[in-house]
Order: sequence, then structure tokens, then C-alpha cells
Amino acid sequence: MAAGVAAWLPFARAAAIGWMPVASAPMPPPPREKRRGQDGLIILNVSGTRFQTWRNTLERYPDTLLGSTERDFFFHEETNEYFFDRDPDIFRHILNFYRTGKLHYPRHECISAYDEELAFFGIIPEIIGDCCYEEYKDRRRENTERIQDDEENENNKDLVLPELSFRESMWRAFENPHTSTMALVFYYVTGFFIAVSVMANVVETVPCSSGPNRAKEVSCGERYALAFFCLDTACVMIFTVEYLLRLIAAPSRYKFVKSVMSIIDVVAIMPYYIGLVMTDNEDVSGAFVTLRVFRVFRIFKFSRHSAGLRILGYTLKSCASELGFLLFSLTMAIIIFATVMFYAEKSSSASKFTSIPAAFWYTIVTMTTLGYGDMVPKTIMGKIFGSVCSLSGVLVIALPVPVIVSNFSRIYHQSQRAEKRRAQKKTRLARIRATKSGGANAYLQYKRNGMLADAEEEASKEAGKSLVCKINPTFETQHHHLLHCLEKTTNHEFVDEQTYETNCMEVSLTKPSMSRSSSLSSSPHGLSSCCTRRNKRKSFNVSNSNMVGGRRGSIQELSTIQITERPMSNSRSSLNAKFEETLPLNSEEQSYITAAVISMPTPPVTTPEGGDSASSPDFLQSNIVRVSAL
Amino acid sequence: MSSCRKRCKRELLKFAQYLFRFITGTLNADSVEDELELSAARHRPEALEQLEAQTRFSRKELQILYRGFKNECPSGVVNEDTFKEIYSQFFPQGDASTYAHFLFDAFDTDHNGSVSFEDFVMGLSILLRGTVQEKLNWAFNLYDINKDGYVTKEEMLDIIKSIYDMMGKCTYPTLKEETPRQHVEIFFQKMDKNRDGVVTIDEFIDCCQNDENIMKSMQLFENVI
Repeated sequence: MAAGVAAWLPFARAAAIGWMPVASAPMPPPPREKRRGQDGLIILNVSGTRFQTWRNTLERYPDTLLGSTERDFFFHEETNEYFFDRDPDIFRHILNFYRTGKLHYPRHECISAYDEELAFFGIIPEIIGDCCYEEYKDRRRENTERIQDDEENENNKDLVLPELSFRESMWRAFENPHTSTMALVFYYVTGFFIAVSVMANVVETVPCSSGPNRAKEVSCGERYALAFFCLDTACVMIFTVEYLLRLIAAPSRYKFVKSVMSIIDVVAIMPYYIGLVMTDNEDVSGAFVTLRVFRVFRIFKFSRHSAGLRILGYTLKSCASELGFLLFSLTMAIIIFATVMFYAEKSSSASKFTSIPAAFWYTIVTMTTLGYGDMVPKTIMGKIFGSVCSLSGVLVIALPVPVIVSNFSRIYHQSQRAEKRRAQKKTRLARIRATKSGGANAYLQYKRNGMLADAEEEASKEAGKSLVCKINPTFETQHHHLLHCLEKTTNHEFVDEQTYETNCMEVSLTKPSMSRSSSLSSSPHGLSSCCTRRNKRKSFNVSNSNMVGGRRGSIQELSTIQITERPMSNSRSSLNAKFEETLPLNSEEQSYITAAVISMPTPPVTTPEGGDSASSPDFLQSNIVRVSAL
Repeated sequence: MSSCRKRCKRELLKFAQYLFRFITGTLNADSVEDELELSAARHRPEALEQLEAQTRFSRKELQILYRGFKNECPSGVVNEDTFKEIYSQFFPQGDASTYAHFLFDAFDTDHNGSVSFEDFVMGLSILLRGTVQEKLNWAFNLYDINKDGYVTKEEMLDIIKSIYDMMGKCTYPTLKEETPRQHVEIFFQKMDKNRDGVVTIDEFIDCCQNDENIMKSMQLFENVI
């Protein structure tokens, strides 16, 4: 309940007089004013600084410290004021919240001091207005991170850790190498071996000086095959062991296997094993050679060691659409210029531009300003188009790149901010809604706790049931009284979502049985009455069983209407009046039904709560007989 | 023929303008919204003594009322949207805007589209401190949407529907389509003595004075302020 409008409650209650003449039921008695609080000035002394405000201002928000009776604990009799031993500078903002309904966050204040004050005065931070909320959340996050970092540093110093299972400690060692010396050693050893493996791959292909009696040069790999093989085996063994250990230690193996790093690991060591299996087969040696290429992926294992690499990877991933656009525009330009060059150079003899795809190479080399010179246009038209091509190449490539860079930076920050805001918004709104739907649900709970009873019982119940409201929240009781008046006016009650859903479900359940009845279009009318009948856990089981009969479904509707509406109306006369009313309205009903209504005898005024099931079937039977006689 | 040419020229001009704007990339600020800044007339109410004389509130009560009013509406007047918003806060489960509209019309006695503090406090004075006759008069005025002195079934149906709207969807028993109509029928049954299809102010007051429940409920909100 937005307490800013608490000032308007008297108006809303006064306006309720407009319902009185049309009310279907007598109104509930108004709540007793337990304490006629005079609207006076309250002095709030906060560490010497005196603030003054009206009592009503504070009582706008009855669920905070200042707005509820909790402030009585701070009342200082000698000086007749409320004394708080808190920070007066921050209190200024809190008091402004009561005055204006908006809570602001002062930027120069420390975030934790502000949080403490808010917590002391019982104000949830989510109410901070939009103007200051983002700043508040940023500062808060910053602060928690800072505290977290400090804590981590603290933790690293002392080696006495809480009970971690061996598996968990292993995983922790893998993920944070600086936690223990073993982990650090392991980290450096794997790093070293990655480097060694990559270097070996590279050096393998360098031509070593062959002996004087050899005709051609051999690469080092072929010369020292055994040495390289041993080195490769050692590296692969280390990598395999590392991978298996990580696999064992991972808290979620499935997630680990799916992660990018583990895929890189697998790709790095697979070629070796495949090579082991297939060494002697000459046919697939070509494929085997290709597999060796995959060994270079070992270099990606460095990304566990380098944060920069990880960020680059993330950058590329997040910038994928921009890169795609660059590629697309380049492709367009290449195709256009290749086509043009091909047709321009077609006339010249012995031109290298044999086909358009052949011209692609020229276009790419020219547009990226490489200019190898292996393909050159010879005709004048070709040269003209060639120069246009190289100029536009500069533009086409130079333009999207800064766009990509700025786009990336903008998108990155924007997504961060959007994510941030979205996460904040959800939790923030949820929290505000939770405290406010105190308002909507408070009334239902109020009813459920039977607080609409007499005033005396009310007091004792209130004392007993401390969970719902604090003692004497005047605003709440008056608001609930207003809602109760509305219920009485319309003769319907407020229910919560769940009950309403179950009602609807039951309506749909009874629908098939209704359809079996004759083609009366009054089924919607009857359905809701069925629904009400089910919900009233009174003695209407007899009508239920008759319902299954189906053939007499239509008649059941009327009789059930009669029965269910009886508790609502207080006098028989109004009941009859009601039925005469239904005559002109339900025009869809067939004539014989309306006739039945008239001829129905006035029902015996047996209270349905009495559970007098014996009389009701007779009553029903007599009704049925009457109708069929028609 | 000439009209066709004129139209062609106009279209061409528009297209040229559009192209120009497209190339130069002007950002069309929504100038409309800037101008619709409500000319929130700073309204100052009449002096406290005058209001004291015209209404049945004491000085202190008027002070309290004004402080609350001014806090919510610093400009001194309430327009219909704010009114609806404020009233809807009290009925979170349903839609109170239609009834709030009728209320607004009832409070806005000079029909200038806004409720000033005087209107507000006059209305409250009648509702909270008035005689039963005055209250019934006010209620009749509320129901009489077109203020012609007669309450027809359609007007009553609108009012009743708006009241039921405030209940919202989640009610027990579930609201049916015909419930407001039935309610109107009951009302007319009671009030319309000469069965001419409309209720006049005299019929209304007579009938309400004879109904115990209504009389009792009129005294309900005596001690609200």
C-alpha cells in the first residue's frame, strides 16, 4: 500500500457513502478509534540535531520504526522528545523520505553507514528512487566485492581451511593455483610442458643440417624422430593425467565436459592417441599428418594461465555479429570487384583473370592493400577499376573496424548495464511487491484470522495473533473496513488467486456433465452456480448426485440457483423478488423454464447450513415433478 | 487535371523533404509532448476563515486536510488522472478508475476538469458532516451521471458495474455477467415507486429514509476526520 496516499484514506472512506444506497447487505461496523492521536508536532532529537515534523507525516509508513509504536521505545520523558543516538546527516534523508515519499542516496556518504541507518529505521533500500538507485546498487556491489577481496586475502594467509573433501580441495587447487604450493607447482609444470610441446612442434619442422653424404635436407623431426617422439609422449602423458584429474575433481562432470577448456584439452591430446592407433596404416597417413595440425591447439591451453586470452576470446564471441557484418560487406565488395575485373580483363590476351573466382584472389589482395603483384590488370579499364578497387578496399576495411571497436565497447558496457539493471529490477520489484502485497494480502489474512469479528474479540485476538499486524495500525484497520464495506455492497468476497484458480478449475470440471443436459443456453449461469455449490461445503451433496443424472440438468440448475442464493438474501421476499427479476433477463431460457419458476412453491426456509439433506431431496423431487408436468 | 498535378507536386515536395531529412538525419524531438506540459495552474485556496464558514470543519481539521492535500498535489488542484491513480491505490485487486471518474464528476461541482481544495473540502463536508438529506442528495448526484435530475437504468448500470469492477476478478462467488444487471433491477424495484423507469430525487430520498439499513450506513463515517 503506497502510504503516500494515506492522507487520502478519509476521502476514500467518505466516498464510500456513494455505495450505501445500492448495498445488498448491511455494512460492517466501523473500527473503533483506539487512540485518537492528535496531529501534533513530534520532536526527533538525533544526536543533538532537532528535527520536527507532524505526527501524521511519520505515520504514513506504519511499517517503519518511526511510523509505528516502536518509536515509543526512544521517547525521552524529561525533554518530551524522541531521542535517537544515530547519525544526523543521514537521518535528514530518512526524514525526507517520510515527507516526500522518495528516498534518495547521498553520494558522499559511505554505503555501509547508509545501509545501517536504513536497516535501523526499518526502511528497505529498494524504495530508493530511480534517480539514485543505480548509483546505490553500484556502490553496494563495489563494496561487497571489496570486502570479499579483503576476506579472500585474509583466508589465503591462514592455511587452516574448513573441512573440504579431497575432491573439493583438488578442484579448488586446479581453479585457484595460488591457494597452495602444490597447486602452484602443478600450474607452472603444466605451463612449462605446454610451452615445450608447442616449441617441439615448431622446431620439428625446421630443416636440420644433414650429413655431408645426404642428398636432401631433412627436418629435425625426421632426424631426431625418437627424441621428438619421447618428448611428445611425455607431454601428452602429463596432459592426459591433468585432464583426468580435473575430470575427477570437477563438481559437475557434465558441465566440465561441456566447457570450452576441456574441449581444447581433448583436442590437444587426441591426435597423439589416434596416431598411436593408426601408425602402420599407409592409406591414412595423410589424415594422420592432418591430425598433427591439431597439436597446435595446445597453445590454447595457455588461456587457463592467461586472463588476457580469456578476455580476448570473450570479446570475439560477443562481437560476433559485428565481425559477421564486416565479413559480409567484404564478401559483397569482393564479388562485385572480381566480376568487374574479370570482364574488364577478358579482352586482354594471356590474362591471369581466367575466371571470376580466380579474380577473387586479386580483389582480396588489392583491397587489403597487400598487392603481391602476381595478378596485375593490363587493360586500361582494368587498371581504372583496379585503382577504384584498392581505394574502396581501404574504405571498406577501415570503416567497419572502428565501428566494431566502438560497438564492442558500447555493447559490452550496455549489456553489462542492462544485465545489471535487469537483475536489479527483478529483485527490486519483487521486494517492493512483497512488502506492498502485504497490502492486498493483508486484508485476506485479516479476514482469515477472523478479525472482522466484534471489537472486543478483535482486541483479544489481536493480542493473541501477533503475526498479522502490529498493535493498532489505524490506517490498516480503516482500509480493511473500507474493503469490507465494498464486499457487503456487492455481496461478493475478495479471494486470493489460488482459490480463484481452483474455482475456475472446478467450473471446467463440471462443464462436461452440464453439456449432457438439454440444449439450454443458460449453462453459463448454471456453471457458476455449480461452482459456488461445490465451494460451499454444506449439505448439497444430494444435488451433486442428482447432477450426474444429466437429463434433468436444466432443472437442477434452477433449484441449485435457488438453494445457493438463499444464504445471500436475508428475506424471503427479496428472494422471490429476485426470481421475478430473472424472468425478463434470461431471455435465452426456454419458456417452460420460466413457467416453472412462477409455479414453483415458495421454498421452505430451511437454513442450508443445517445440513438437512433429508428435506432437500423431497423439495427437489417436488420441483422436478412440477416441471415435468408442464 | 490541375488538382492532380497539384497533388503530384505536393507529394514530390514531401518526398524531397523526407529524403533531405533522411540524409541529414534530423532527430525529430517529440515537440508535442513538450507543449502538453499541463498548465498546472498554481491554485491557491480561499482563506481559512472563509472555508471555515462554508464548511462544517473546524480550523484544525481544515489545516490537517489541506496539508495532506497539498502534499499529494503541490499544484493545488487534482486532475482526473491523478484522482484515478490515488483512488486506485485503495483497491489493488480491481479496477477503480470508472468509479473514480464518477466520483471526480461528483466532486468537481463547477465542472472545470479539476478538483481544487475548495471542491474537495466542500464535498467532504457534506459527506462527513452533512445531514442525511444532504448526503442522500450527494449520492443521487453521483448516480445521476448526466445531471438531469433523473437516474435511468443505464446510468445506474454504469455505476453498479463500476463498483463491481473495483472488486476485481478474484472474488467469491465468481462474478457473472448478469450480476450488475440484477443488482440494478433490485435497486429499481425498491426505488422506482411509480414504475416509470427512472428514479427522481424525491423517490430516492423517500425510499432511502424508509430503509433502515441505508439510514444506519449513512451514519457510518461520522468520525472519519
